[in-house]
Amino acid sequence: MAKIYIATDVLGFFALDEAGNVVDKELYEKKPDVVAARLMELEKSNYVPEIVKLIERIKPRAEKVVLEDPELARKLVAAVKGVEIVGESPSHILVEFRRNFPMYLGALGLTWDEYQKFLFEVSDLVTRLKLRQAVERRDLFIAQAISTLDDVDKILNLIASRIREWYGLHFPELEELIRDNKEYVTIVYHIGHRSRIAEDALKKILPEMPEERAKRIVESAKKSIGAEMSDWDLEQLKIYADIYLNLDAYREKLATYIDEAMKEVAPNVRELVGPLLGARLIKLAGGLTRMAFLPASTIQVLGAEKALFRALRTGGKPPKHGVIFQYPEIFRSPRWQRGKIARALAAKLAIAAKADAFTGNFIAPRLKEELLKRIQEVKTLYAKPPPKAPTQPAAKTPPPPPPPKKGGEKRPPPRRERGRR
Amino acid sequence: MSIEVVDVRPHERHYGVYIVKFEDGTERIATVNLTPGKRVYGERLIKWGGLEYREWNPYRSKLAAAILNGLKFVPIAEGTHILYLGAASGTTPSHMSDIVGERGLIYSVEFSPRVFREFMEKLVDQGRRNVIPILGDARFPYQYAHYVKGVDVVYIDVAQPAQAKILADNADYFLKPGGHVMLVIKAMSIDVTAPATETFKQEINTLKERGFDIIETVHLEPYDTAHAMVIAKKKS
Repeated sequence: MAKIYIATDVLGFFALDEAGNVVDKELYEKKPDVVAARLMELEKSNYVPEIVKLIERIKPRAEKVVLEDPELARKLVAAVKGVEIVGESPSHILVEFRRNFPMYLGALGLTWDEYQKFLFEVSDLVTRLKLRQAVERRDLFIAQAISTLDDVDKILNLIASRIREWYGLHFPELEELIRDNKEYVTIVYHIGHRSRIAEDALKKILPEMPEERAKRIVESAKKSIGAEMSDWDLEQLKIYADIYLNLDAYREKLATYIDEAMKEVAPNVRELVGPLLGARLIKLAGGLTRMAFLPASTIQVLGAEKALFRALRTGGKPPKHGVIFQYPEIFRSPRWQRGKIARALAAKLAIAAKADAFTGNFIAPRLKEELLKRIQEVKTLYAKPPPKAPTQPAAKTPPPPPPPKKGGEKRPPPRRERGRR
Repeated sequence: MSIEVVDVRPHERHYGVYIVKFEDGTERIATVNLTPGKRVYGERLIKWGGLEYREWNPYRSKLAAAILNGLKFVPIAEGTHILYLGAASGTTPSHMSDIVGERGLIYSVEFSPRVFREFMEKLVDQGRRNVIPILGDARFPYQYAHYVKGVDVVYIDVAQPAQAKILADNADYFLKPGGHVMLVIKAMSIDVTAPATETFKQEINTLKERGFDIIETVHLEPYDTAHAMVIAKKKS
């Protein structure tokens, strides 16, 4: 009774004792596509039938089974009962197994050349399968996902305001007491009738709510002036609240998906401005490659097309920033600094998009460093607002001429906005 | 090709590396093409004495830069098994593949699918059979442990802050006793603010702490700024 070590290989699994001898094995069917499918699962730390079979078989002889992938070991604990399975990485016995592999190969009646040929076939196949999954127009998926996220946000707001109005007939005081939509809807869904609102019930569904606020809610529930509502009336409201909560959970998942996908598709852009804003820029540009071809000045005003074309048409001031306004350093800064920061950010984004689309190098840390330096510079050089423009010229020169008129005296009525370009 | 080749001779120190002399007196290094007629990254192909050589561009491959900067010892010869972390589009692995030949093996690990697609096109599809392509994350060696067996060399060239640690981890898994590691340090991807020499020291210290003897350090100027190549051997 001792430890048994499981070695993984493209041929299958080998069980080794503490002296490194093979005590049992479970090999795959020796076809590249079968093996490739198994390895794809293993590389995601999922178990495959062969390893379960092997462990079941050696279970009576082993008091402990050792694997190198800790995540896989954890999952196997749930699948195979009656034996301890642990992760140990790297494991000395398995390191030796790999170093002396040609010796083990001899026992299988295979030569190294035959093995190497098979190894090549399998790794080639697995890599191709992974590549196919990886970047097939992932940037467009991300664009759809971020549009969906915006839709979901709108829908969530719409549902929440309806629920607030509806439940407000029954318990109007709650409207003022709870700002957060999700908290409000959670109370409606899990508690319902205001007579059931108690401190311990609130604590159970919203553990983070401060006690003092919970007390106030319970207090006002007791003396609420709202209309009576039967469970039959509440039923419809609850179903709707459930939809809200499900949709909110979906929003979380979607945001995680966008983050993961951005990591693969546009790691540099993601590092600079975060996954959501990065995804929004890719969407507005119409794909990562298109964004990579855009000049920084266009990236700066992506999302502000309406204002930009109005400015171009009338000769007025062009917008300083489009959707990159969502970058905290821009919207938190005073107005006169925003344009400068937006310009610096857009310049770095243009470089990041090119790196993501063409080279795949991860250069964002350097870009970020340079950007932060420039932001600091803007903050120190332009700490004070510029002097008001009209006061100075008014003293010396007559009022500025009206903006130049182009194309005849009478302008055609403004046409409808045409989106981009 | 307008400039004529006048001589090709083996490099005095490095196995599988050749020096090509042109009629205008300039010299370049090259390796014998394992897949004659095929280019990997637009390099010049040179025919001489019945063999085809591929020019090895030091601006594209850091190993070539290190060799030109006087690296004394490269632990790669015919039949060497190498674990290459950060294979990217395969410029350096292709020359290693030329050197180690049919009996050698290069387990090529790369994380980014975008650049690895090029690797597949230029190396695997053009008939190199001594490279094992692995699309994986070098930070988690157990995720590709089923492919990789004992290796003589672990080579790392990744844009990661913890490159020395990743290298040592992989060596623990796969390096044979007496094997070597080769580390390309990109000072800029570790810490942009610290001076490059500080970063080099810090990475070299990590290697020492993990039980390696440093054999040689070569800076890669002028081919790459703030880069260095370190060769070390595991203490036995």
